[in-house]
Amino acid sequence: MLELLFDPSFAASVPRFVTPILLAALGGALCERAGVFNIALEGFLLMGAFAAVVGSYFSGSPWLGALAAMLGGVAMGLVFAEFNLRRGGDPIVVSIAINILAAGLTTYLLRAIFDAMGAFSDPAIAGFGPVSIPGLGWLPVLGPVFGGQSPLFYLALVAVPVASLFFARHRLGLRIRAAGENPAGLVAGGVSPRRVRLYALMGCGALCGLGGAQLSIANVNLFVENMSAGRGWIAVVAVLLTRGRPWPLLLIAFIFGTVDSLSFRVQGLGMPQQFTDMMPYLATLAVLITLSWWRRGRTANGGAP
Amino acid sequence: MRVALCGITVRFGALTAVEDVSLAIEPGEVHAVVGENGAGKTTLMNVLFGLVAPQAGAIRLDGQDRRWTSPQDAIRHGLGMVHQHFMLQESMSVLENIVLCAEPAGRFGLVDFSAARSRLRRIAEQHGISLALDRPVARLSVGERQVVEVLKMLYRQAEVLILDEPTSVLTPQEKDRLFATLRSFRTAGKAIVLITHKLDEVMELADRVSVMRAGRLVWSGRLSQTSKEEIARGIVGGALPPARQRAVRTPGEPVLAVRDLEVAGRSGAVGPLSLRVHAGEIVGIAGVAGNGQGELIQAITGLAPALSGEIALCGRPVTHLDVERRRRLGMSYIPEDRQRMGLALGATVSENANAGRDDRRAFTRGPFLDRAAMARFASGLIERFRIRVGGPSALAATMSGGNKQKLVVGRELARNTPLVIAENPTWGVDIGAIDFIHGELMRMRDEGHAVLLVSTELDEVMALSDRILVMYAGAIAGEVAGTEADRETIGRMMTSRAHQALPEVA
Repeated sequence: MLELLFDPSFAASVPRFVTPILLAALGGALCERAGVFNIALEGFLLMGAFAAVVGSYFSGSPWLGALAAMLGGVAMGLVFAEFNLRRGGDPIVVSIAINILAAGLTTYLLRAIFDAMGAFSDPAIAGFGPVSIPGLGWLPVLGPVFGGQSPLFYLALVAVPVASLFFARHRLGLRIRAAGENPAGLVAGGVSPRRVRLYALMGCGALCGLGGAQLSIANVNLFVENMSAGRGWIAVVAVLLTRGRPWPLLLIAFIFGTVDSLSFRVQGLGMPQQFTDMMPYLATLAVLITLSWWRRGRTANGGAP
Repeated sequence: MRVALCGITVRFGALTAVEDVSLAIEPGEVHAVVGENGAGKTTLMNVLFGLVAPQAGAIRLDGQDRRWTSPQDAIRHGLGMVHQHFMLQESMSVLENIVLCAEPAGRFGLVDFSAARSRLRRIAEQHGISLALDRPVARLSVGERQVVEVLKMLYRQAEVLILDEPTSVLTPQEKDRLFATLRSFRTAGKAIVLITHKLDEVMELADRVSVMRAGRLVWSGRLSQTSKEEIARGIVGGALPPARQRAVRTPGEPVLAVRDLEVAGRSGAVGPLSLRVHAGEIVGIAGVAGNGQGELIQAITGLAPALSGEIALCGRPVTHLDVERRRRLGMSYIPEDRQRMGLALGATVSENANAGRDDRRAFTRGPFLDRAAMARFASGLIERFRIRVGGPSALAATMSGGNKQKLVVGRELARNTPLVIAENPTWGVDIGAIDFIHGELMRMRDEGHAVLLVSTELDEVMALSDRILVMYAGAIAGEVAGTEADRETIGRMMTSRAHQALPEVA
């Protein structure tokens, strides 16, 4: 097992799993901090993956594919905003509806646009190639992890400090935090919390869209029904665990991404798939339990004089 | 800037909250708007600030008609409002709170905090305000939070400042400091609107007074043309209730005994605290909100566990009993937050009136509730406590604040328990209801019940208590006999540990 962790090809596969989780979780962080209970990241991610394939197939450029993915995600964000913010629908109900909608809609569009069932692959889908980072090759473990990945991985890494700065120093970041903590304060200041939350949902859609693009035009060059495969849910867990803080999100995304990647690996070693499929969720439970113990320990100490 | 409200009328459904009110606010003046809760003061100011659109009437700034579509319009034209409930973000720093919604943004929309900082320093110097800009608001006292709210308006260059009940949460010293700042604004030519129900403050600070009752403007003019008594009569619309006579009583057995109690608090532990409340006395706990009163009450009622120490009720240890057991042993509790703890707003008056009753058999028939008996009981309460409501089957949410509180007070006092705990029982209710609730608490005392009163309104504690305990920073900072209480001494205790030398208060 240890041997496996230091296998360069395993290390190189980790970012492929980290990227979609991290991007979706950063999007989820925007909603979390803005006070929107968005657990539709799975649907946003799936829609992004599909839109990426559409954009890339018709334009021949992975970048336009990524742009299409962002637009697809934003569209889902707008659907969420319409039903939750404007019509006052319960966020859990709206989320579940969007997750189901995304699954159905992508399957339907797959048939309508590409006349394909279940999966669609075509040489015309232009995918992201690896970006070579000079000077990293000789490093053990870190070299393969941080070198030769898709541009979306580096984008996701850059997005972490940017998000941190955004929440701390940006005008909209400040308002997003206010919308999540005491929206009445925004109203008193003449700013509509609903509008702030709309922006958060749109940003969330764009980031989830990029995460979807990583799944469909960077990890592979194809779309498969329901290919987000629970990563949106893992992103939701990551957001709730970190309360939407970007740096801890990076850590959690790496933990989940590594386990996700590992589960594929051990499957290749002959472990039954039913078991390996459980691994990311077992890891989630393990993190939840560890964190709750740690928090309990802290509050017990913090309560003493 | 000269502001005029002309013929403002606001209706909420069938209720007319403000009817044809006109008044003028002049620069360099403090204009006090007084009236009972529900008289329409706050609604009127919400109109001025763009939070409520009037059905009729106009707002004029320097002679020009204005129409606000949102508070943003009002803010842009130089109006600023400090709301009764602060609108601050606890997790943010003072500086972040002040710039929020008026951020000086540079490249990429990044907030230029250093520009804001230097501008604030100038403003603070001009008006003699001192405050650390980088402290998180969560760590500020209520008085400091108010300073943040005031700075927020100044930062937006407000020319007209509206303050809604600004002193209700302040110590006397903090109030003095606020008034000094407001005087400095007046000198600087700003117009200040002070919404209040405290007449002493009106007499101290105002240049002009407007009295409102039941949505109408009763009187408006210079302070020098009227008197405190006249204003008071205008507020209640008739003769004032006579001052309460206090029957002399010797307190009996201790009903509540708390020894060395420690409770976990939001910022550090509360305690160790010891106190006793005897039959036939009202013990008042004064102090600025957030000094451990809430934690103390939660531990006594059983809502929060005690870390150490003992609580005895009627001579029986109750430290490890749950809320229900303690209530049955003889405890009633009027909680501070009637909206969430005191009442179930989505339930009917009758259901609320019967919540937590001991003699269940009188209100059930077999396994079912006896709705008729419940309604009879609720009607009794409505009549006895003069609660203005449609009837027992009306939803609790439909009542006004004062009537909600009367329902809570009525339900708890009707249980006739040896111990009554009242936590800010008159918070946000009108003068009539305050007088009534005070009367009921006094009646309980005179009938030999033990009353523990926690209030952030010093006047209330002083008017009712036989003994006054002052809490500061989680400890009892001092004790004063009710007859010897004066505001200055208590005010000092509210902010210092100087008098904290009381291992056991007998």
